[in-house]
Amino acid sequence: MWSSRRRFRARDELAFHRDRLIEGFVADGMDRKAAERRVFLEFGNTAALEEASRDVRGRWLNDFVKDGSYALRALRRNPAFATVAVLSLALAIGANTAIFSLVNAVLLRPLPIHEPDRLVQITRLTPEGRPANVSYPLFEHLRDHVQAISGAFAHASLRASILIDGEQEFAAADIVTGDYFNVLGLAPGAGRLLGPADDVLSSAVPAAVISDGYWQRRFNRSPSAIGRTFTTRDRVFTIVGVMPATFRSVRVGTTPDLVLPMVLTISDSQRTEPTNNSLKMLARLKPGATVAQVSAEGQTLWRTFIEPLAAKVPGGLRAEVRDRRVGALPSPDGINDFRSDLSEPLLILMGLVVFILLLAAVNLSGLLVAKAAARQREISIRLAIGAGRGRLVRQFLTESFVLACIGGAMGLALAAWLSTGLTALFLNGRDLDLSVGPDWRVLTFTAAVALTVCILAGLVPALQAIRVNLNPALKRVRATGHGRLGRALVMTQVAISMVLVVGATLFVGTLVKLYAVERGFDGNGVVAVYIRSTGPFPDERGAALVADLVARLRVLPGVESASAAQVLPLSGNDWTRGIELPADAIRPGDSSTAFNAVTPGYFTTLGTSLLAGRDFDARDTASAQPVAIVNKSFARYFFGTAPAVGRRVTSLKVPYVIVGVVGDAMYEDLRKGFRQTMYIPSAQREGEQQPPSYKYLVRVASGDPARLGPTIARLVGETDPALQMTDAVTYATLVDRSIPAERILATLGGVFGVLALVTAGIGMFALLAFQVARRTNELGVRMVLGATRGSMVGLVLRDVGWMLVPGIALGAGAALMVTDLARGVLFGLTPTDPTVFAVAALVLTVAALAAAWLPARRAARVDPLVALRHE
Amino acid sequence: MGAAAPKSDLLQGTLDVLILKVVALGPIHGYAIAQRLQQMSGAVLQVQQGSLYPALHRLEKRKWLKAEWAASETGRDARFYTLTRLGRTQLDEQRANWTRLSTAITGVLGTAK
Repeated sequence: MWSSRRRFRARDELAFHRDRLIEGFVADGMDRKAAERRVFLEFGNTAALEEASRDVRGRWLNDFVKDGSYALRALRRNPAFATVAVLSLALAIGANTAIFSLVNAVLLRPLPIHEPDRLVQITRLTPEGRPANVSYPLFEHLRDHVQAISGAFAHASLRASILIDGEQEFAAADIVTGDYFNVLGLAPGAGRLLGPADDVLSSAVPAAVISDGYWQRRFNRSPSAIGRTFTTRDRVFTIVGVMPATFRSVRVGTTPDLVLPMVLTISDSQRTEPTNNSLKMLARLKPGATVAQVSAEGQTLWRTFIEPLAAKVPGGLRAEVRDRRVGALPSPDGINDFRSDLSEPLLILMGLVVFILLLAAVNLSGLLVAKAAARQREISIRLAIGAGRGRLVRQFLTESFVLACIGGAMGLALAAWLSTGLTALFLNGRDLDLSVGPDWRVLTFTAAVALTVCILAGLVPALQAIRVNLNPALKRVRATGHGRLGRALVMTQVAISMVLVVGATLFVGTLVKLYAVERGFDGNGVVAVYIRSTGPFPDERGAALVADLVARLRVLPGVESASAAQVLPLSGNDWTRGIELPADAIRPGDSSTAFNAVTPGYFTTLGTSLLAGRDFDARDTASAQPVAIVNKSFARYFFGTAPAVGRRVTSLKVPYVIVGVVGDAMYEDLRKGFRQTMYIPSAQREGEQQPPSYKYLVRVASGDPARLGPTIARLVGETDPALQMTDAVTYATLVDRSIPAERILATLGGVFGVLALVTAGIGMFALLAFQVARRTNELGVRMVLGATRGSMVGLVLRDVGWMLVPGIALGAGAALMVTDLARGVLFGLTPTDPTVFAVAALVLTVAALAAAWLPARRAARVDPLVALRHE
Repeated sequence: MGAAAPKSDLLQGTLDVLILKVVALGPIHGYAIAQRLQQMSGAVLQVQQGSLYPALHRLEKRKWLKAEWAASETGRDARFYTLTRLGRTQLDEQRANWTRLSTAITGVLGTAK
């Protein structure tokens, strides 16, 4: 290599000079030996001279390569150290990368479209400022009148039952208006994409586009797919093209098979009713236009849209006019449901793993310090013969750099595996696809993380090593400074662990408190069944099918009771309806309530108690007097202490007579408490009776209710061939699914907490064991002088105390500063709950005592005679 | 740490210009530079190797000198330094500087007498 030849020559040059000097002296008549000695003295330190000559030449890279290969050789020689260091790094970097991959996929990554930064969502906004849906007429109004946009489209997702090649199958479909692909700026993967001409009611040949995935799966990428037809919603569609492979949908996480023109797929009421809000609207900003401009225009247009409408409607659409606004939101990532659901827990997790990373850095630092202590003599010698201190620091950093590189590469591999599990945890049973593959952002992040660890971990031992006092080190006197530094590092580990354990305690505590919330129903032994159909049902047949299905479920062996409901408690759906109370109620007039339609036996199946009156039964048919059951909160809120049974409530102009009062049950969210709820019999529900819109509940007498799954699936198909069971989940699972963020935080927070405890425990154990071994001699002397075994243990425990107490205090201080960020996800606990901090401190103390157990025992068992001969 | 401070009695920065001057006389190796300096100064200036070689390498890195291996007068390979065009400009500049400075200093010291 050029560099080594160059150094060789630099040495040659000096040798030449030296030899010429010697020859000169010899020529002057000096004895050769004496001449050599004289020249040697005159030349002084050749090593330093060589180093000096070399430093002039800027050979940093060369040193780096050399130090790198030296570090690799050192690692191979010390496999135990290498394994521990690399594994702990890989774990920390892997966890960081995995969570960052999710953050990237959920919060950072824009859609793979042309100039995603100019994509905005124009939408109705809830009073809290969250996006709601828009209706088709509102979409048209905004599309045609907002000046600051160059184009807009509406979007909805649905599962369609399609008939293709004589086979009936379900396909996920995006239904979009004509400018979808124009606004996104996409080019077709094959054929052509949809345009405004396809999105008209009079379309002679209804066109559809398929996704690259569907093209592969269904047609094996055959070009003949274009021109094929399928039937859905009584219309024959012709496939005209394939979307590019890079693009799936404007709704993040969905993987549609088909894209259909909107006006050909939505119902007449969806197309024409100005308040049928079921669509999302996205638009592209004109160059130079801002989101604020679109917001301002949208709000003005909203007023011109809603106020004339409200004037015509009896109720005046009060809530719409008063509470709703229209605004624009930047949407480079399209319609992202994950953002609102997951961003908080994700950012909290990101914060937690940063502490894990710090812990790994401190851990590695400790290992490197110990290793450097073993090399202290070598380093002292190198310093004594003139090695530069900067040069040694670079060597230490190179060593930790090599470790960080290996750890980073392994971490990246580990992250790929971890993210799969994490994604499943985050999707929480939802049928969505979150691609978390590494892109340049993830790779940059991992590199930055690895580099930070390398510098954090490498600097401490490097600075420690070169601060050495040469004399005692060379004389083989044991260094004492290492003990103090080691203790500081363990104390730091305790502090970081404290933060993580406080976090874990908060999250686990939150979960425990959520599970302890009184729900008003008993889900044990209950399975919830979801079904779907291949086509619409006529109303009458639909109602009969619901009753038939419930009747068949009820007589299955081992089943105690069965029923159906439109909305299940804690299932993520809710149904609110406007009602009108009579003049004699406490709160007469217009109001709203949580609403549900259920079959007889629903309350028995869910274990909600009947407090007054009766349950629905066979008398409550579609033609009979409309009846209702209300919950306790409803009765108390509207009627006070007066009996509710016999009173009237009107909804959608139907006057219902209350026939029963039931206990409160938790519907929306475990955090939100009970709402006033009104139930009507499913048989009396007006409008379409679609069996799939009901959820079926089955309570078993004993055992795991999930075992009935296959039986129920068969039974559903037997009841009607057009029905299919999609899911049968135990109620426990359903409840779990209602608190995904809390469960993730408790699980991962707990894992991180335990990881931190183990790391800090091992660090402390190693340090104490080393101290006891080092002080064997001294301990022996103490024993001879009359110290008791108890005082030996006391010595070790004092060491523990010196690391534990400041560590816990420091960690508690740090935790106090950061836990407030998690306030939003906590339940029943405050971020500064003293009990939580006390529990965390206790857990750490127990872990520390466990770590001290063996060293303390060893100290107590020191045999004075053996100890004095030690060394 | 690294390069030791020049141990000669030379004024800081003057070693460079002296080397440039010696090298300006023709291709020459390190040992001979030290010898020449000693001779030319009437044995007043003794340059230590610890100063000479770092200075040579520094000047080479600045592209004032260039070096190549060639057979020396004894037949053994030595590293010969020659002045570059840039080095020559530097030499002229620094020599002018020195003359100005030394005239000034001599003037001041003379007046004080």
